[in-house]
Amino acid sequence: MLKKLLFQNQDKKQVFLAAIGALLGMTFLITSTHFLYRINEFGEGNEILGSNILVVQRKVTAASTFNLSKNDFTQEEMKEIEEQPFVQRVQAVKSNNFRVWLETNSDLVPPFKTDAFIQSIDREFLDANAAEWKWDTNSRELPIIMPRDFVVMLNTFMSSMSMPQVTDELATSIPFKLRISGAKGEKWLNARIIGFTNEISALLVPMEFMNYANNKYGDEEEGKITQIIIQGKKGKFGSLEKYLDKNNLEPKKSQMIVGRLKSIISTLVMIVFIVSIVAVVSSGIVLLQYMRLLLSQNDYEVKTLLRIGYAPHFIASLFIRYFSLVFACSLFAAFGLFFVLKWWINQTLQIGGIYLNESLSLISILIIPLSFVLFITVGTISARKNVMKLFNI
Amino acid sequence: MKITFENVIPNPLSEYPHASESLWGNTHVLEQGQKVLINAASGKGKTTLTHILAGLRHDYTGNISFDSTSISSFKTDEWLRSRQSSLSFVFQDLQLFPSLTSEENILLNTNLKGGVSIAQMREWAEFLGLGDKWNTKAEIMSMGQQQRLCILRALSQPFETLVLDEPFSHLDEQNTKLALQLIQERCSDLDAGFLLTTLDPTDRVSFDKEIKL
Repeated sequence: MLKKLLFQNQDKKQVFLAAIGALLGMTFLITSTHFLYRINEFGEGNEILGSNILVVQRKVTAASTFNLSKNDFTQEEMKEIEEQPFVQRVQAVKSNNFRVWLETNSDLVPPFKTDAFIQSIDREFLDANAAEWKWDTNSRELPIIMPRDFVVMLNTFMSSMSMPQVTDELATSIPFKLRISGAKGEKWLNARIIGFTNEISALLVPMEFMNYANNKYGDEEEGKITQIIIQGKKGKFGSLEKYLDKNNLEPKKSQMIVGRLKSIISTLVMIVFIVSIVAVVSSGIVLLQYMRLLLSQNDYEVKTLLRIGYAPHFIASLFIRYFSLVFACSLFAAFGLFFVLKWWINQTLQIGGIYLNESLSLISILIIPLSFVLFITVGTISARKNVMKLFNI
Repeated sequence: MKITFENVIPNPLSEYPHASESLWGNTHVLEQGQKVLINAASGKGKTTLTHILAGLRHDYTGNISFDSTSISSFKTDEWLRSRQSSLSFVFQDLQLFPSLTSEENILLNTNLKGGVSIAQMREWAEFLGLGDKWNTKAEIMSMGQQQRLCILRALSQPFETLVLDEPFSHLDEQNTKLALQLIQERCSDLDAGFLLTTLDPTDRVSFDKEIKL
């Protein structure tokens, strides 16, 4: 009867439009929150290099392109960098001076072969769990760390062959073969991926292998040091970055495809996230404004109910219950639409070789009750305030 | 419930002189169960008195107490208790819900406060000549019918004092007599009193005390 009295003669079109606004706003908010989380997570989980690590080279300029400026590092320069108060350790990134090819070695994946470029860093720069990072001449397999760009490239290749995509876990179980060839001979080795990195764009191998292979198969000439790896001290990374910039050095990280992709997609999703928040807040305000309008349209009825003894909180609760139900329907529908959008966006990203974790992120689930509680809180305060105004008149 | 007035003067009437027998500016005590007639000409503050007792107006000086508690100290909860179980009102402007039927208007009251059964209410409606209006919306009833419905609604709830503000202004003599009979019976049943304001001569109403404004 109270529902009939207070809600029967309203303009349902306005509630419907506000509910549609809330539905769209919430859909985009849930979707953008989910993807912001998943994109930031992408490529982070299996990073094998330790924290605060930068691979650094001299800035590429027109002069360096024509060999007119210096692009390598001397031992003295490395020592000077290491003596900076914000640097923990510095080491040359050692490169191969022989030719390398990498190819798949399994019937389960299609044949894939590529020229490769290998580099080496010490175990100290890897995370503590990299116990497999060792090699000697009796080893059956050569452990390698793969640049994540390679997985993106591999998946693009798999996609073109209509093959299922390769996850990080799957990639580590694929046997590879490494062929090295130099002035002094040629050798085939079994290789296996033990981890991934976004920091270096070459295949990483243990230092023992690099020294062995350079000696045994490489040219006589010792290669120039063109890249160094620096581990900054905790909490002083900003000072390190400033120092690099001042000395015309650049971190390799900024050139990474995955990093750039993440950055671009994150920015786009962030824009959608902000627009979604504006949309949700706007539609929430429209719903709450409509509640106030309905309250003022029912000014006489509310006043009379209060005069005959109905409690203001009870009357306010009727309004907030009604509008919470409308908002809850929008939330429920938004969650359904989010699943459709999530599926579509994941498909689109997979075509580009980006495989995000497809499971529901906790944040996208949490945002629903959080929005609901916020709506009820603001709505209750607003409804009670407006009803109380009518209590003593 | 005992209602005590101590030098109460509504602000709009503060500049006018008030006689020694007037409720305004003097001390009057309305005892529990007492039937009081407030007989006053237009503009003397009858509706203001009703609204002050309902907690709808607070623009007065002096003090009013329900039993021993000053109503100026009342918060929302005390006013709610008063409206739900101590005082029942027939407002001059009726305060019915036009879009609801007679039955629904009464049910909105009894659902909240309990009181008389719906079968009893139906009987009283028949008694007041509203039997055929039971399922009729208030907005299409005549003023006299609405006034009788309003009286029925006020009688349907439990109360200690019934406050009626010119409740018979649209009723003919016969309907006034029937309404008064019902009011007297209900007040006797509840051992309640009433405070009735009127412009009319007093010969139709039986009362314990008459107060001027």
